[in-house]
Amino acid sequence: MGEPLLRVEDLVTAFHTDEGTIRAVDGISFELAEKQTLGVVGESGCGKSVTSLSIMRLLPSPPGEIERGAIRFRGRDLVTLPEREMRALRGNEISMIFQEPMSSLNPVQRIGKQIGEAVRQHRGASAKEARARAIEMLSLVGIPAPEKRVDAFPHELSGGMRQRVVIAIALACEPKLLIADEPTTALDVTIQAQILELLGELSARLGMSILFITHDLGVVAELTDEVVVMYAGKIVERAPTAELFAEPAHPYTRGLLASIPGYGAAERSASGRLRLPTIAGMVPDLSRLPRGCRYQDRCPLVRERCRESEPPLAPIGARRDVACFAHEGGPYRDGARA
Amino acid sequence: MSEPLVSVEGLTKHFVHREGPFGVRKRPIKAVDGVDLEVHPGETVGLVGESGCGKSTFGRVVLRLLDPTAGSIRFEGQDITRLDAAALRPLRRHMQIIFQDPYSSLNPRMTVRATIGEAMRIHGLVADDAEEEARVADLLAKVGLRPEHASRYPHEFSGGQRQRIGIARALAVRPRFIVCDEPISALDVSIQAQIVNLLGELQDELGLGYLFIAHDLKVVELVSRRIAVMYLGRVVELAPSAALHREPKHPYTRALLSAVPVPDPKRERARIVLEGDVPSPLDPPPGCHFHPRCAIAKRGLCDREVPALRAIGEGHQVACHLAE
Repeated sequence: MGEPLLRVEDLVTAFHTDEGTIRAVDGISFELAEKQTLGVVGESGCGKSVTSLSIMRLLPSPPGEIERGAIRFRGRDLVTLPEREMRALRGNEISMIFQEPMSSLNPVQRIGKQIGEAVRQHRGASAKEARARAIEMLSLVGIPAPEKRVDAFPHELSGGMRQRVVIAIALACEPKLLIADEPTTALDVTIQAQILELLGELSARLGMSILFITHDLGVVAELTDEVVVMYAGKIVERAPTAELFAEPAHPYTRGLLASIPGYGAAERSASGRLRLPTIAGMVPDLSRLPRGCRYQDRCPLVRERCRESEPPLAPIGARRDVACFAHEGGPYRDGARA
Repeated sequence: MSEPLVSVEGLTKHFVHREGPFGVRKRPIKAVDGVDLEVHPGETVGLVGESGCGKSTFGRVVLRLLDPTAGSIRFEGQDITRLDAAALRPLRRHMQIIFQDPYSSLNPRMTVRATIGEAMRIHGLVADDAEEEARVADLLAKVGLRPEHASRYPHEFSGGQRQRIGIARALAVRPRFIVCDEPISALDVSIQAQIVNLLGELQDELGLGYLFIAHDLKVVELVSRRIAVMYLGRVVELAPSAALHREPKHPYTRALLSAVPVPDPKRERARIVLEGDVPSPLDPPPGCHFHPRCAIAKRGLCDREVPALRAIGEGHQVACHLAE
């Protein structure tokens, strides 16, 4: 395998607030190869969206700042790239789609114009060429009657159609990398199924890599090749998707999987009621992190050592890493050593 | 079988959509279009459907937070369809609601104590301040919060904790029936399970009847005894939870079940991806509302005649001409 398309190295993204500096992303590293789909999973506040905004250099600054690390994309470090060059990359070689399609579209501009803007900007296309490209893109993302819809305004479309338009805008310049930040969270399940199918098909057809950010492990299983699990600003586990689901290694990943309704083994209480497995407690406040492992207060395997020092992300197999002391003496299964 | 706690027949709610210059043209939106449903004490009935199917409107009409256009609502045998505000007030405390968004459903300027205590005072359930304080502390303990939380404001809590406050607020008046309107959709996965378990424990302890509204079929299946599936204002299928999952009869229910992403990358799935969107309720398709997206629709039948809800198995009803 050659140089990966994207390599994030020891990225630290901090926010300077009145209560002090908060490191929303605290020293994460990962790679994304060409034509691969990588899922970044975690709960609110784990730093997954800040990671994507750091790559796009779209952090509100101040208070946000990339404190340390490198983001290498096709040989260039995006952290130090001048803004002018960054602008030439965005919407061209790297595109991003967001959760809420209505707020990422301009409500007073026809969708054809919004789709064509990127090709006019980056490829110097004429108005006529841009319109033709917009129609082509609309048909690519499966919008019926694209010649008519090209003149529609966003409010005339349904939520699912709007998200298709957003995808059309993102893909107009055939990016090498698409960052999708919870792109289906605001959609109904039947529409979500359509959009996931569309993204899978387009990435195969256009040879594009996708960085897929989500809290939904179900979506990860459907679309991704590899997964990183984030917790409180750190990567706690990395694995090929099939292996992560077959044998989750970090206690947090296990808890997350088990608490998906219908996936974990639910127990019956005395009254015959189903009780879902849960992760006790909640995510720690990033401004008041405990010493040692960030998951210690919720972890069923916590030991003295976990309260003293932070476990590093260490390999436990080919392309598998986990940040947990319980794995030091070899892998464990169901709490007991294998 | 016990007498139903809530019994709804032919419930219909139309909104008026105004259009044209100055809104002179009026067209009805049939948000809820003739729904029958019963909820028994201690039972959870799930109501699922996609956005715009009328499930939240249904929940609000049942509680008389919105006035029905037609049909009837009975609460413990009493017809409450046309009761005026004054006559309804003493009944309000028996019927409560938990909302989806724990951020917008709590008053940011009221402490937890004030939010939970207000309803108790209005309904005259506590004699004095001391009793109110003790009851609030009780309720907080019941939903897994600490007594010192009473003096705090909503912004000091996480989403899951706020939802617990919302639940405590609903329980404050000792209701018998609670509409849970997407109570966990705004929460993180690991917190969702906590809230689902809490609602279950409270039901066992207090014998509450729940109408559990959600778009997530998986969750609804776990918590409900029976499930109703709604599409464009109508119930298309009603069945015991296990039967619905094992043998969904309506093509829409099948598509909905198969669309849920499954956290198992190895499973080869036979996914039914529906074409198109839910049609506008302003202009619903004739006959069966689902026919334009249905794979098995028969021309001349499904696009002409509205299928009635009919029995197809033990407690299993479906509104489809072709389901067997």
